[in-house]
This record gives sequence, structure tokens and C-alpha cells, in this order.
Amino acid sequence: MSVEIKLSRSNRIYRPNEPLEGTIVTKSPSSFSHSAIRLTVNGSVTLQIRGGSAGVIESVYGVLKPISIVNKSVEVKSSGRIGSGTTEIPFSVILKNPGDGNLESFYETFHGADISIQYLVTVEILRGYLHKSLSATVEFIIETAKANLPDQEISPEMVLFYITQDTQRHPLLPELKSGGFRVTGKICTQCSLSDPISGELTVEASAVPILSIDIHLLRVESTLLGERIITETSLIQTTQAILIADGDVCRQMTLPIYVIVPRLLTCPTIYAGPFSIEFKVSIVITFASELSKLHPKSDPRTPRQWLAMESVPLELVRMKYFSNSVNIRLLDNVPDSNLHLDTFRHASSPPTNFHMSDDIGLD
Amino acid sequence: MEFRPRNYTVEEESRSLDRVSVDTHPLSPPSPSHLQVDVVDHGKSDFYDPLRGSDANVMISLDDLQEEDNNSAVNEADAELPTKEWTSFKKFLMQRFSGSKMVSISPMSDVIMKSGQVREKASTTMHLEELDDPQKFAEDGIKVISQQVYVSRLHELKDEINRSWQANDRVTSLALAIKVARLLMDTSVLQFYPTLFVLATDVMDMVGEMVWQRIKQKAEFSEDGNVICSLPENFEAKDIRVDAKETCSNWFFKIGSIRELLPRIYLELAILPCWRFLVDRPVDVIQRLIMMTRGIADPLASAYCRLYIAHCVQKLPQQDTGYLIICINDIKILLTRFLSAEESPDGNFSERSKSLISLMEPTIEYIVKCIVKDSYQTRAANILVELGIGMKQTEFVGKLPCISIILHHFLKELPSELVSSNAVEIFQLIESSKDYSFDQCLNYRLLGFRISESRSQLDIVNAVVDKVIKVASEYNSLDEFLKVVDAYVDIILRNQMDNKLNIILDGIVKRACNEGIAEIELINLQSIFLKLLAHLKNLEDIFSLSHFIEILDMMHGSARSMVNMHILNMATRKGRIHDPTIVQFLFEVSQSLHDGMDHSNMKYDDSQQPARLISRFVTMVDYGPALERHLAFLLECRGAFGGFNDLKETLVHCSNCLAVKAMKDGENHTSYVKSCIAFSEVTIPSVPSCVKQLNLYLETAEVALLSGLVSHSDGLLDSAIFCLQTMDQMDDLRLPSDVDWILSFMRKLCSLLVLVPGNPQQGVTYILRSMLALINSQSWVSSRARTRVLCAVLSLAATLSQFDLPYHANHELVLGNDCLFYGDPIYSQELLSLSASILQNLVDNIIQEPSQVARGSMALEACNCIASSFNLAQEVLPFVSKLMETAKSCLSSNDKYLQSTIKFVDKFSST
Repeated sequence: MSVEIKLSRSNRIYRPNEPLEGTIVTKSPSSFSHSAIRLTVNGSVTLQIRGGSAGVIESVYGVLKPISIVNKSVEVKSSGRIGSGTTEIPFSVILKNPGDGNLESFYETFHGADISIQYLVTVEILRGYLHKSLSATVEFIIETAKANLPDQEISPEMVLFYITQDTQRHPLLPELKSGGFRVTGKICTQCSLSDPISGELTVEASAVPILSIDIHLLRVESTLLGERIITETSLIQTTQAILIADGDVCRQMTLPIYVIVPRLLTCPTIYAGPFSIEFKVSIVITFASELSKLHPKSDPRTPRQWLAMESVPLELVRMKYFSNSVNIRLLDNVPDSNLHLDTFRHASSPPTNFHMSDDIGLD
Repeated sequence: MEFRPRNYTVEEESRSLDRVSVDTHPLSPPSPSHLQVDVVDHGKSDFYDPLRGSDANVMISLDDLQEEDNNSAVNEADAELPTKEWTSFKKFLMQRFSGSKMVSISPMSDVIMKSGQVREKASTTMHLEELDDPQKFAEDGIKVISQQVYVSRLHELKDEINRSWQANDRVTSLALAIKVARLLMDTSVLQFYPTLFVLATDVMDMVGEMVWQRIKQKAEFSEDGNVICSLPENFEAKDIRVDAKETCSNWFFKIGSIRELLPRIYLELAILPCWRFLVDRPVDVIQRLIMMTRGIADPLASAYCRLYIAHCVQKLPQQDTGYLIICINDIKILLTRFLSAEESPDGNFSERSKSLISLMEPTIEYIVKCIVKDSYQTRAANILVELGIGMKQTEFVGKLPCISIILHHFLKELPSELVSSNAVEIFQLIESSKDYSFDQCLNYRLLGFRISESRSQLDIVNAVVDKVIKVASEYNSLDEFLKVVDAYVDIILRNQMDNKLNIILDGIVKRACNEGIAEIELINLQSIFLKLLAHLKNLEDIFSLSHFIEILDMMHGSARSMVNMHILNMATRKGRIHDPTIVQFLFEVSQSLHDGMDHSNMKYDDSQQPARLISRFVTMVDYGPALERHLAFLLECRGAFGGFNDLKETLVHCSNCLAVKAMKDGENHTSYVKSCIAFSEVTIPSVPSCVKQLNLYLETAEVALLSGLVSHSDGLLDSAIFCLQTMDQMDDLRLPSDVDWILSFMRKLCSLLVLVPGNPQQGVTYILRSMLALINSQSWVSSRARTRVLCAVLSLAATLSQFDLPYHANHELVLGNDCLFYGDPIYSQELLSLSASILQNLVDNIIQEPSQVARGSMALEACNCIASSFNLAQEVLPFVSKLMETAKSCLSSNDKYLQSTIKFVDKFSST
């Protein structure tokens, strides 16, 4: 005897103003009676604080009280019988009634390190007091409805950057200091979620051979705890680094930066009251030296002597239109203190039974 | 038994056809009107004239066939050319670099290690080991396996990917494909890389095709298998269902998040055609992939990656070669940097770098081919601009000089008109590209060849040739000098730049005198000389060239022989050779040709061509009235060219010709003729083939008879018979064709014997009896040959018995047997007794023949012979009827030969 939920869309993406549709499928060798079939839609922001910049006391608190986005329950069927074999019961739940007020509270799905925005739908078949009720839960994904997006075009923003031995605030190898290097380029700081993070980069000079250049995507999750804001910066796991240069590349050749924004692990940048989710992109240059050979993987958690890097904030947006014109501004090369003070930590997604693998999409 | 009396004069008159003079030569090609007549004839009779045989029908059908061939070729070319080209290119790659046997595996390639030992190492222990002893770890990490194992593991991986795909486990398929692509990051075993590339891209292509099919299926069929639409060949992105699009973007998303650069590029290239499901013209994508490839610093890996780009982009319907030009320019920048980094202070270039360049060469070759092929009409001019041609000098300064190996391949592929019209600019490009990737002089050489492909403007040609000769003159090495000038000789000759030719020859002499001519230089020298010979049609012109003979004398080996052969060939094409200096020159040329060959261990085929040319030369020599001198020349030849057996035959023919020529002069040349015949007689035994000896003896005997030298001819015939008798001792006589030759010789001998006066001392039938003894005793004589010889001898006996012979020797001193033995009863008795024994012999021989058909036709042959030789009286008739019975029992009664023979025999038996 089992029950499962089949959503109408294979990618499970729904917009807040759309009804969530699907079927409840039961399989049973014999017919049975039930008192009700109930469907519960639950969306919430889970906040968690773990060590890091939070104090010892705060970390004891652990999980804060989740912020509820939506929680509604509907009865699909009142009491009755379900026949033997496979039975399909279609359902349709309106996620948000038009009169429900501001739509912004429907944040997009996000699986972060400390903050998780998750939407679940649960079916429950109640079978009286004598029998255990049957239930099944499925995660679905919320994306902002296109209709609710601002109509005006937003031009993607690009920032020009340059990385030299002088823009680095951490100690460098003496040969790097003396020989010098200069890498310039541009990278977008505002980017549509459906587009790759783009830009370009040129090694203009470097006395020390380059081992690799990586692009890292970082998330900055902040939680309001009492009067304090606790901020965690972590690498986004799947695309923790995208190599764009492998070896000592030719000087004066433009290399493209092209990083696809991973789904679920990113969402539009949010500044909400109790929490905020922001993103950053880092360019990390690893120079070839005896020391770097021992550490084959470039690791921006600790700014090593043979690394040079630059980070820029990245605003991710969900857009209706995207203009072709690009606003480019010059990056004021003040070293990003935040990035260096923060402890980097490999983020692991919160453990969930409903974690969706993006591999599903290949089929 | 009596011979049938014959009157040959009357018979000839009554039988011979009327002769009619004609306007056209029978062998001249038929005019259209003739053809028509032929067709009418064709309908009426089954007579087939082999000389006019080229039947119109046959010609048409041949044309049809050819056309069909062309058509099918064109059709295939349309659809499958790129695929085919790629397949053959891959084969070429694997074959060209199949050197290394062992492959070292870096830890990166752990997918190859089946045991998974490398993988099992936990990352922590790895880390510890690293810290402990990095050196040790580095050593441990490298494992060596044989290339064969590596290749078979790759094949297994391919199967595995396929299997997972079939099992709908596409995630595993992709994961494995990424692992395979990762292998391409390892370029440590240089020589193995092309093979690795071919195998890995095979996997990539397979995965790409599977993804394409999968998404196409999603676009065309709904989930429950119903057809939604059928995509046309040239579909657009808007025709694709959202579901299919989504799956497609997921693939690109998955691949886009591969950490390493090279596998990410390879995988995206593999599914590049799938971009068509999302956008209509994925130009930006190609552009980006090319730019991404710049991030790969390893020259080999990035060159092969660009090769794969060129291959994959061809799968898209619209093509634009602009991107390939960027590719080539990137390679250029890479090479410029590589070459300047690798060049050691003393200007040498390491072996590793050389092999690296040679490994990269195919990629350049392929990309350049694609560029030129695609842009033949539209963008050819652009290519030139990209190369730096057509720019003003000022613009040119800032640009990097062209890399010679890239220039080489462009030069090779560009359309020849373009090369010709821009020859001066290309020359300048070559001049400025002096790097170690390719030998500069070979580019000059290629330019020469390309220019000579098409007619070009004289002023351009002049300018280029001037510059090239200036450049070449600065080379000290003969090899380089020859390599360059060889390519320009054709142009110089065609445009009659005689002074340039002299400069070149001067240059050769100067350099050759200093250091001699090495083997490798001979090849080019030979090529230059052959061009000269092909252009200059006269020996006199060659003599007038300064240094020609001097250089020729410096040459040696097969190149020398080749040039010698061409000289001979050219000299003997223009009719008889009279000039004694030329004869002397050619004699020396022949001598050097002869001496240059190793006669002891040479195949017959190798010597045939030189021998034929020298024979031809000997035949063409003509001393005119200086007959003695001519014979002396033949004598010299016999001494000089002993190694060529075929030539001896020619010498005998020539001396026989001389004898005949002397006789025709009418003056008394008896002693000269005698010496000619003596020359022949002495020369013949050194001819190795028996059959040839026989024919030469016969020919010489004929000449002797013609000049009245009966005793000489007797001697020659004796030698011939002796030769025939000793033949079984030689081994070279087992071929059926040899037996045929001997049969033909014997029959020829019979017809000559009509002329030869019977020798009273040996008996008139001496030679005939020797022949009969011979054919009956030798096992190699087939029964058919025996029958024919018997018939021939029988006919000869019948002829000799006549009072007036059908023909006589054309000399007053040679009397025919009809004069010598007119009415002599002993003489005719001897002939008759001989004939009687032949008759019996003949019948016995025929009856023993096992094959029915052969027996029948042999019997008929014999019947005809007997019927025309004898009066069919009592003694002969039993033989005839016996033979006729045999023939009738063996052959069908419809047989035409049988019927005509019956008629013939009947006609004579009734009289």
C-alpha cells in the first residue's frame, strides 16, 4: 500500500500565481477506506547558524525559528473508499490567492548553507485511528512569475577590473612581488539567472608562469540574530571553481569568462528583513611555484602566497527582458575586506530527503 | 604412292584475289560515312573486321558507365564528404604517429586503471603523502602501461558509455564521457596523443550523436510515443517543444559546470549541433568556444582542441570560416611564443620541440584545408588579408610575422590563380617567416611549384624568379640550393629566361665541386635534369647548355641512370642518328647506364627499360655508306653492353640488316657480308634463350642464302638443329608458349628448306630426318605439335618433289633442288620413302591423342595435308579413310571444318 505525488511538470517549476497541479497515485493490493485525503503545501525559509562569525552562544541556538511563506491545507477528498490497484486522483492547489497581498514574500527556491528556501507538498491519507495514515512529500520549485517582474529593461552591469601585485592585500611570494603581473578584464555584476555570468579576461603580463585561473561563485548569507547580523560566505558547491585558464596562457589574448548559474543553489539576490542572500564572484589566479605544486587545487579559502584574486559582488536577478546594452563601470580596487575576513567554508546543502538532483534534467 | 604434281604459278593466279587500289589506309581511323556502311554490313554477315572493330555501341556503353560513375561520385560527395574526409584524416593521424609502445599514465587518467587502485587512495592519505615526500609521490603516481592496453581500455569505456545510455542511465554516460575527455589533458606521451585524440573524439562524437537523437526524439514525439511533428532538415529553434528545449539546456548546464577547461570544451563541442534546438545561429557559441580554447596553454592539447572545433563546426548547416581564421591566428600566436621560448641560444631546436611541431602539423593542415575549401569564392581575398597580403607596408610592420609552417599549408591549399597573382607578396611573407617550425627553403620551393601550376603574368614571374635566385644564391649547401631552384626550372624554361638557367647551372657546379653530390641532392638534381630534357627537344640544345655534361658526369647512382635513360629516350625519338659526335655521346651515356646497373643481382624487369633504350639507340644509329665503321660500332657495343642479353639479339638483327643493305648496294661486298654473318654467328650463342637463338640462326641463314653463301647457311642450319637437339638439356623449356615457339620455328624452317639446295654429302633429307627424330624422341613435344611438324615435313617433301618449286633464292649462285635434282629417281624415291614413314607416324600419333576434340581436329588437319600432297591412290587411301573415320567419330557432323574437309577429300578421290 503506497502513495506518491506526481506533479504535472517534470521540472517541477511553478510560479506563485499558477496552480500547483498533479495527481495523487495510490497503489494497493486491496481496496481500503479513508476518512480524508488532505494535501498540504508548505513553504518556509529555514535559518541556521553554525560557528563562524557568530559567537559561541549564538551557535548554541542552532536553528532559528523558520519563517513561513505559505502553509495551506486542502481536502482533496472527503471520506470514501479507494479501490485496489493503481488509483490516480488529480489535484490542483492555488498557491496564492490574488488578494493575498504582496507577492514578494514568495521567495524563489534556494538551497544554501545556512539559509534554505524550500517548498513542499505533502499528501496524507487518513485512515482512522486504527490505521497509520499514508503520506508522501515532494519538493517543488518556485520561480518568480514573469508577469510580476518589472517591465522596464534592466541592463546588465559590467565592471572592469585589474589584478596586479599591488591590489593584493595578502602576502605574496617574493618573486611575484618583484616580477609583477597584470591581469585585466571585465565581468558582469548584475546578471540574469537564466544567463551565464559572462566577461573576459586578459593576462597582460606575468613574470612568473601562471598555473591556472579559476572563477569561483560564492554566496553570502546573512541572518539577523537579535541586533547582530551574522554573515557567512561559502563556495557554491557544484560550481565551486570553473577553470578558464589551464597552464601558462599566452599574454595579450582575451579569454572568455562564462559560468553557468546553477539552479536551486542560486536565487535572485534577496534583502529581506530577517535575512539576506547575496552572491559574489571571485577570480583566482594561481601562479606556478614549488609551493603551489604541493597544493594542486587552488583554494580561495585561505589566500595563499601564490594566489592572486579579485572578488566582485554579483547581483542575480530574474528578468523579463534583458537589454543588450551593457553598463560598464570601473571597479574601485579597494580590497574586499569582507572576503578576506570571513572564513570560507565548504557549504553543504541542508540535509533533506527531497533534495533534487539536477541530473534528472538530462532525461 | 605418288606426290600430287602442282603448278604453283597457275594455282596462284587462279586463287589469289583481285587487287584493287584504295584511297584510304585500312588502319586509318574510320570516317563517319565509313561507319554507316559498316553498320549495314554488320546486319548482313557475321564477318567481323577487327581493324574496324570499334563498335559504336560499345563506345556509348562505356561512356554511360563513366557518366554513372561520375554521378554517383557527385552524389556521395554532396552528403558525405566531410564525414569521409574526417574518417580518412583520422586514419592518417593514427598511421603517421604510431611510434610509441608504452604510455605513462598520470594519476589524472585514473579512469584507465581498471583496478581502481589509484582511485582508492583517500584524499587525506594523498595529502599526507604529498607532504611527506612529494618527489616520491610524483614517481608513484606515474604508471606505465602498454599502448595496446590503453587503447583497449578506451574501447571498453566507449562500450560502457553506450551500455549505460541504452539502460537510460544518461548521468553515468556523461560522467564516463567527461572522464574520457579528461584523458586529453595529458600530453606527456607526445607520440601517443594523436591516437588518443582519435579514440577520445570517437567517443565524443558518439555521445554527441546520442544526445542529438535523444533531444530530437523529445522534440518529435510526446512522452507516450505519439508523433507530435516531424522536424525538417533545416528546422528552426521555434519549432522545438519547450520540454525538449529544457532537456537540451540541462545538458549544456551540466557540461558547463565541468570544472576542468579542456573536458568542458570537448563535451560542449560534442553536443554543439544541439545548440540548434535553442538558437538559430549559434555563431556566438563558436566564437566563445574558440576563445575558451585560448585558456589551454599546452600547445599540443590546444592545437588538437582547435582541430576538433573545426571538425564539429562542420556539423552545423551554416558555416562561416571567420572563426577558423581566428583559430589559425591563435595557433600562430601560440607558436610564435613557443618558438621563441624553445630556441636555444645557439639557434638549435630540441628534438622534443621538433616532434611537437610535427605533431601539431596535421591540425594546422586540416584547419587550413577547411578555411580554403569553404571560402574558395567568397572569402579568398579575406584570407590573404589575414595572412598579411594586400596590406600596405606600414600596416604590415606591427603584425607578427607569419609562422612558416602555417604559411606552408596556406600556400599548399590556396587556389593557384590567387597564388600566382600574389606571388611577390607571398614571397615577402616567406622571406619574413624564418622560424624553426618549417624549413624556409621548402616554402620557396612550394611557391615555385604553385606558380608553375597556372599561367601567370610575366612581370610577376620575372620579379619572383629574380628574388628567389637571389635568395638561393646565398645558400651554401647544394641541397637547399637544389630544393629551391628545382621548383623554378619549369617556370624559367617556359618563359625562356636563359640567363637564369645559366645562373642555376653555374650555382650547381660551384657547389657540387666543393662538396660533391650527396644521395639526397641527387633526387632534386635528377628532377631538374628531367625537366630540362623534357623541355629541350634536341640534343644540340643540351650541348649548348653550359655545364650540362659536366654536371651529368658528377652524378651517380640511380639518378644518373634515370637521366641517362631520358637522354636516350629523347635522342632516339627523332629518327636515325647520323652525327658521329652524337653517336659517341650517346654511346657514352649508354655505357654509363650499363655500368651503373648491378647486373649480378638484378631482376629482369629492372633492366628491361634501359636495355630497350640502348637497343633502340643501337638500331637508330646510321653510318650511311660507312658500312665497315657501322659493323665496328656493333662490335664495340657487343663489348660494352655485355650485361644486357636482349641487346645481343638487337646486335644480330643489326648486323643482318647491314649485310642485306650491303647486298642491295649492288657492289661486290661479299667479304663484308661474310664478316657480318660471322659477327652474327659468333654473337648468337651468347643469347641465353634457346628459342631466340633458333630464330636468329634462321634469320642469319636466310641472309646467307640471299647473298649466295650456301655453306654458311648450311652451317647456321646445322647449328640451329644442334641447338634444337640440345634443348632438352636446358631447363627453361617447360612453358607451353616455348613449345609453340619451337613449333613455329620448325614450320618456318620447313619453308626455308624449300630454298636450301640439298646437301649431297649428308643426303637431301638429312635435316628433315633430324627433325623427325627430334620430335619423336623429345617428351616435351605435345602430340598436337608433333602432328603439325609431321604435316609440315610432309608438305615440304611434296613440294620438294615438284619439278618447279614455288619460290627460289634470289641469287644466281643458289640453285634450287628442282634444278639440282630434276628428274632424279633416287631423289624422289628418298622423299617418298620419308613420306611413307611420316604417314604411318602421323596416324599412330593421332590415334593416341586422348582428347576427343583435339583428336578430331588433328585428324582433319592431317587429312587436308595428305590430300593436297598426294594423289589419293591405293597406298594412301587407307590412311585417309582411317583419319576421316577418326574425325567423324570425334566431331559433330555439323562441324564446318569436317564438312569442308570431306568435300575437299571427295574432290580429289573422285579424280
